[in-house]
Amino acid sequence: MIHDYLVLSVILFCLGMVGVFSRRNFFTVFMSVELMLNAANLAFIAFARLQQNMDGHILALLVMAVAAAEAALALAVVILLHKQTGKLDTNVFSLLKG
Amino acid sequence: MFAHLLSVMIFLPIVAGLVLLLAPLGRTTARVVGFCVSLAVLVLSFDVYAGFTATGKLEFVEYIPWIPSLGIAYHLGIDGISLFILMASAVLLPLVYVLFGTREKGYYANLLLVEGAMLGAICAADMVLFYVFWEVMLLPVFFMLGLYGGPNRLPATLKITLYTIAGSLLMLASLAYLAVQYHTLTGEWSFSIEKMGLLNLSGQAAAVALFGFMIAFAIKIPLFPFHTWLPDAYTEAPTATTFVLSAIMAKIGVYGVIRLVMPSFEMELARYAVFFAYAGVIGMMYCGFAAIGQKDYKRMLAFSSASHMGIIAVGVFSMNVQALTGTIYQIVAHATSTGVLFLFAGILEERTNTRTINDLGGIAAKAPLFALFFAIAMLASVGLPGTSGFIGEFLIILGALKFNVWVGVLTGTSLIIGVCYMLWMFQRVFFEKSKAASVQFKDLSPVEGLAFVPVILLILIMGIYPHPFLRKIEPSTAQFFAASSQIVAQSSVVSPTLSAELSTEKN
Amino acid sequence: MEHSTFYLGMIPLFPLLGAVVIGLLHVFTCKRWQVPQLLYGLLACVGPAMSFFLAMRVFLELRALPVEARFFSHKAFTWFSVGDLHLDMGFLADPLSSLMLLFVTFIGTLIHVYSIGYMDGDKSYGKFFAYMNLFLGSMLILVLGDSPVVMFVGWEGVGLCSYLLISYYSEDRGNVLAGNKAFIVNRIGDLGFVLGMGFLFWAIGSHGFDFLSLKANAHLMNESTILIVCLLLFVGATGKSAQIPLYVWLPDAMAGPTPVSALIHAATMVTAGVYMVARFSFLYVEVAAAGMVVAWIGILTALLAAVFGMFQDDIKKILAYSTVSQLGYMFAGVGVTAYSAGIFHVFTHAFFKALLFLGAGAVIYVLHHEQNIWKMGGLKKKMPITYWTMLIGALALAGCPPFAGFFSKDEILYSALANGHVFIWLIGVLVAAMTAYYTFRMIFVVFHGNPRDQHAYDHATEAPAVMTVPLIILAVGALFAGFYNLPAIFGGEQMISHWLAPSVADHHAQHSFFLEFIAIATSIAAFAFGIWVAYKRFGKGAEEPVFAGFARFAYHKFYVDELYNALFVQPYKTVGVAISEEVEPHMTDAPVTSVSRLYMRVGSLVKVFQSGYVRIYAIYMILGLGIMSLILSQSLN
Repeated sequence: MIHDYLVLSVILFCLGMVGVFSRRNFFTVFMSVELMLNAANLAFIAFARLQQNMDGHILALLVMAVAAAEAALALAVVILLHKQTGKLDTNVFSLLKG
Repeated sequence: MFAHLLSVMIFLPIVAGLVLLLAPLGRTTARVVGFCVSLAVLVLSFDVYAGFTATGKLEFVEYIPWIPSLGIAYHLGIDGISLFILMASAVLLPLVYVLFGTREKGYYANLLLVEGAMLGAICAADMVLFYVFWEVMLLPVFFMLGLYGGPNRLPATLKITLYTIAGSLLMLASLAYLAVQYHTLTGEWSFSIEKMGLLNLSGQAAAVALFGFMIAFAIKIPLFPFHTWLPDAYTEAPTATTFVLSAIMAKIGVYGVIRLVMPSFEMELARYAVFFAYAGVIGMMYCGFAAIGQKDYKRMLAFSSASHMGIIAVGVFSMNVQALTGTIYQIVAHATSTGVLFLFAGILEERTNTRTINDLGGIAAKAPLFALFFAIAMLASVGLPGTSGFIGEFLIILGALKFNVWVGVLTGTSLIIGVCYMLWMFQRVFFEKSKAASVQFKDLSPVEGLAFVPVILLILIMGIYPHPFLRKIEPSTAQFFAASSQIVAQSSVVSPTLSAELSTEKN
Repeated sequence: MEHSTFYLGMIPLFPLLGAVVIGLLHVFTCKRWQVPQLLYGLLACVGPAMSFFLAMRVFLELRALPVEARFFSHKAFTWFSVGDLHLDMGFLADPLSSLMLLFVTFIGTLIHVYSIGYMDGDKSYGKFFAYMNLFLGSMLILVLGDSPVVMFVGWEGVGLCSYLLISYYSEDRGNVLAGNKAFIVNRIGDLGFVLGMGFLFWAIGSHGFDFLSLKANAHLMNESTILIVCLLLFVGATGKSAQIPLYVWLPDAMAGPTPVSALIHAATMVTAGVYMVARFSFLYVEVAAAGMVVAWIGILTALLAAVFGMFQDDIKKILAYSTVSQLGYMFAGVGVTAYSAGIFHVFTHAFFKALLFLGAGAVIYVLHHEQNIWKMGGLKKKMPITYWTMLIGALALAGCPPFAGFFSKDEILYSALANGHVFIWLIGVLVAAMTAYYTFRMIFVVFHGNPRDQHAYDHATEAPAVMTVPLIILAVGALFAGFYNLPAIFGGEQMISHWLAPSVADHHAQHSFFLEFIAIATSIAAFAFGIWVAYKRFGKGAEEPVFAGFARFAYHKFYVDELYNALFVQPYKTVGVAISEEVEPHMTDAPVTSVSRLYMRVGSLVKVFQSGYVRIYAIYMILGLGIMSLILSQSLN
């Protein structure tokens, strides 16, 4: 039973990971990150059910709150970047190149 | 006057510097504030000088525990050795605010910060406190050099900063070693410089610690072969920074050797002092030779400064009262002569827009007052009797002769090496016919002239009537060689009787 | 002691104050308005004149004292005191210093007066007199200093003034180079002086480092230390007094104005070395070897300089070499322990050499700075006073009885002979003949025969009175100064020798009238021979000779300058340039730069991982997390 939830969580996480690695559009990357966060949330809830305590729920709620805050901040950054350059391609922004 | 004189002298410039950095003030205001604060420090320093009684012990002591579990304290105090370095910095720093045209606000703020930090390092009687001020000293220099320096300032800034930090780390390790040794021997944690003086360490570990200290100070002074940051930094730095570096900061390196190294490593020094003295002699000759090959007068002065620091190092390691007293005297003399020469070089650079010796000429005819002052400072730097330079150099040569005949003879050659490059430079800059760059040269304005008068007078008075100054130094240096250390640590052997002796000493 | 000694300190103080006043006046006014020359001249002469009167007072007071107590000193203030080194800024008056004082201040004052005329119209008139006064003050400190260190203050001070005055016409590169040369060569000597003082101090200085204590404690030193100290001090003397091997600066020093050559480079400063050796005579008598070194160096210098002097064509250079040569005599005198004879020669030499230089200066002045003797000739008619006074000077220099130089030179030669140094005496006689030859070669070429440059000759007139009066006064001195030390053979009392006896440790051989007669006879013969040869060759007018062979070699001064240049100066410069351009960047700095380069290289290897793409960073993150979890799970199991 728990096994199925975990498999689903891993699949979701890997989907998100591949999205982050391979896509260049800001929004797709952003959505993939959200996908990974939700995969983690799913795992938390599943373990909480297994352990019969509320710790996992609390963490899941915390992750949601953080994800919301992050979304607000990150979207603002993306909008600013778009305003500056008119592009939404992550490869354009490589100031940290050594 | 009031109880915390030294603290006030240290923190007044630091606080003023920080306020200047933060407050939205104009350049001229910053300059005036800087001048007033440094003048206030000068006034306080006279108070210290007058109140100093030359007992050979620390005076004006302030003691506030800081980290009591490790025996670290905010502990200040000065004796005859530090007094003169303190006076030199207090007297000379107001000059730089007067002389050069209005610069950025940050420039003056950094000058104030560096003044406070230097005074702190001079007055510190606790090793950790000393270390803190020692590190803080570097920061304003980093900014002044990096922000306001010449065209090639960035490599120079990196070089001096990394070099000095590398040295500081070695010093930190050695400091810790000292404190740990003290703890093993007495069972008490302390970082007090005075108490470290009671130690007399020897053995392999002590030698390593000694070299750790020596490298740190050799970098700051700078001694050959750790001097390579100096020509670049002195040349690229704005004049006030060069002045601070050469006139005062280098001296704090020497001071560190006298304060931290000499009392605690007497036995190891007996073995290595000759080596260090030769290093000083070689540095003196090497930099003296290098000076004559320079085409840039500021660079030439940089090498000349390094060359004189070599003589000072010989004085430190000659291990007798004449040489050590001469060293302290020479420290002040060097600050007034070479430091002032750098200020003159700054004026030259500002008015002619060139640093090349061969572009100049005939300035003596255009600017007699400038030439006169320059000549006096130059003669002091080559150690002519009647100027401050002679007394120190004579005492050092005398002491070095006693210590080791060959070191003495080689130190004496500085008499010749010094005049060679100085006269040659003086000839090409001040004599001969005027060239394009110097044809319009303007003499010192009355304000500038007046600003230099005290220093020039000091050079002459210190040469003609040195007794009152030496009288304040000598008890401290004599104390140095009179009192032998009570605690002898042979590698890791601890003798219970010695600890017992110390416990009586503590009372 | 009852009488006040305070005025002893005032003697050097007056000229020094004069220097400060004139110097400041000059610096602050030279750009704006012209201070009248007369004011400068008056200010300049006041200091030396006051010093002269005080020097008279010193002399008279000393004379009033009994012979064995003829000294007093004045300690102005404690100079410095460190450990067992205690030094006062003290001044010592004793017969030796009082004699030096008298003629230094006297001739100094005269030359200041003369300079008022000579420097007329110079654009930095004030500067000149400031330097001159500074020089005189330093010289008086040198003479009066009661310890070697105070003496050294004056010693270096006169060196500085010499430098400043040689490079006085500083627009010309050559003059400044001559000044540099003088200062640097003197500094080499000073190194010897300083080291000598150092050894002396560590031997006996802790009992007091003034001359009187040193003299009292000299017996505590062992012979080898005394020898080292004496030789090192003599190195100082060779620098200041232009002896082999450091004589090279003095001929070049003639680049300065002529009164400077007269005062500094003939009459006073260059004799400081002799004075110093006489001061330390209590050490030199202890070790015969030290005295022999001094005597031989002296007499060889006398010979070498006389050879050079015979072939020069610049009037000042001739006089310069004759000065070097006469200084050599003085050292020969003090070297054979005839200190009073050496000092006596210093005394007479000051008169006739200053006279000759000032006379030469008058000639140069009226000929508008022409110094080549082959452009002069027949000036006797145009400048009678200069001619007759210079003739007196020349006779004194050449050693013609009864002029001053004869007695003093003869005293030295006799002492050498009497103390058994026959070779030194023989060389001395040879040099005496050469001296007579080159001196009268100069006199004949300049004043006799026909004018070689008619235009210059037509415009020549006698120099103004302010210049000729000092000449006349000095001529009187050159004529009569010798009588102060008339030897017994002429019925004299050797007043100067007796006066100096308490100060210097003269060593008297058994007096022999026979030897003295031989010495005098050979001296006169040498003089006569020299002047006869000079007359034969130049008396009737002669043309500028073309030198070949040895003469050419001597004309170029044996290429010693070139040799020193190749041996010392060029290598020094080369080493300097090599260090600053090769050693510094490629060797000393190499470890530092290579460390930074190492960091750079490692960085450039690692930087490929820094792609700048956020996706790649994400991959690193996941990889890192993966590895961490693997390790964690491994360790948990």
